[in-house]
Amino acid sequence: MSRFGLSIALVAVVSALAASALAHHGWGSYDAANPVTVAGPIQTLKFENPHAEITVKAADKVWTVTLAPTFRMTSRGATADVIAVGKGVSAYGYLSTVEKDEMRAERITVDGKTYELR
Amino acid sequence: MTDAAPAIFVAIESSGLGAAIRQSTWAYMSANVAHILSLMAFAGAVAVMDLRMIGAFAATRPDFILRKARWAAVIAFAGLVLSGLTLFTAEASHVVLNRVFQIKLGLIALGLANIVAFEVWVTPKVQNIPPLAPLPDAARPIAIASLTVWFCVAACGRLIAYF
Repeated sequence: MSRFGLSIALVAVVSALAASALAHHGWGSYDAANPVTVAGPIQTLKFENPHAEITVKAADKVWTVTLAPTFRMTSRGATADVIAVGKGVSAYGYLSTVEKDEMRAERITVDGKTYELR
Repeated sequence: MTDAAPAIFVAIESSGLGAAIRQSTWAYMSANVAHILSLMAFAGAVAVMDLRMIGAFAATRPDFILRKARWAAVIAFAGLVLSGLTLFTAEASHVVLNRVFQIKLGLIALGLANIVAFEVWVTPKVQNIPPLAPLPDAARPIAIASLTVWFCVAACGRLIAYF
């Protein structure tokens, strides 16, 4: 049964690797140590899976802001109508370590109302 | 969408079907849930077959175990492919360039080749053998390879989102 033991050990190692990656829960490629706030009018809206996405014309540049899956957006009240093109938004979140000018929002504020997206 | 991907995958993602999956409230989420449920069924069926070939449940007739579990595995695999294609269609151009996804496809090919090896070298030799009878020499290494490869496929699947 030594080879059986070896295969169990292999599986355990792979599972542990997967579990440590899981801990990031999809936020792994964002710089959580340095939160930023991006504010400005919404230029484009993609209310799509796996993540809704808006572009925001801030003072310095146009940002791509990654939001939550659409089902969560809707259940938290941040429907496509709420984050419509032209509305002003303030997004608090983290810069992507991969994509230039992209950030992922922890929460957004539209019309004075804050929506938690995590 | 990324134009760095081969045109066929850009076309798949930008197709009406791709857009419908992304824009539907339920489709993407349902495919995600179906994929994990199919994986549970598949892993369970594969584990039953492989553990029997490694020597567990020795007091059962191997051909009987294999026949029943194989059906479950085939149906679960069909569920994995269908739900997986749904998830892939929504993001084809990005996912196809994802290194972990490419590794996963390679491992799936390896797993399927391993099944062929099993059906050629093991299945014919375990027909009608009684409980507690010794198993063919090829049974154990192929079963260990199977467990290892399919667990790695599952790990890669989860890791696509992180690379």
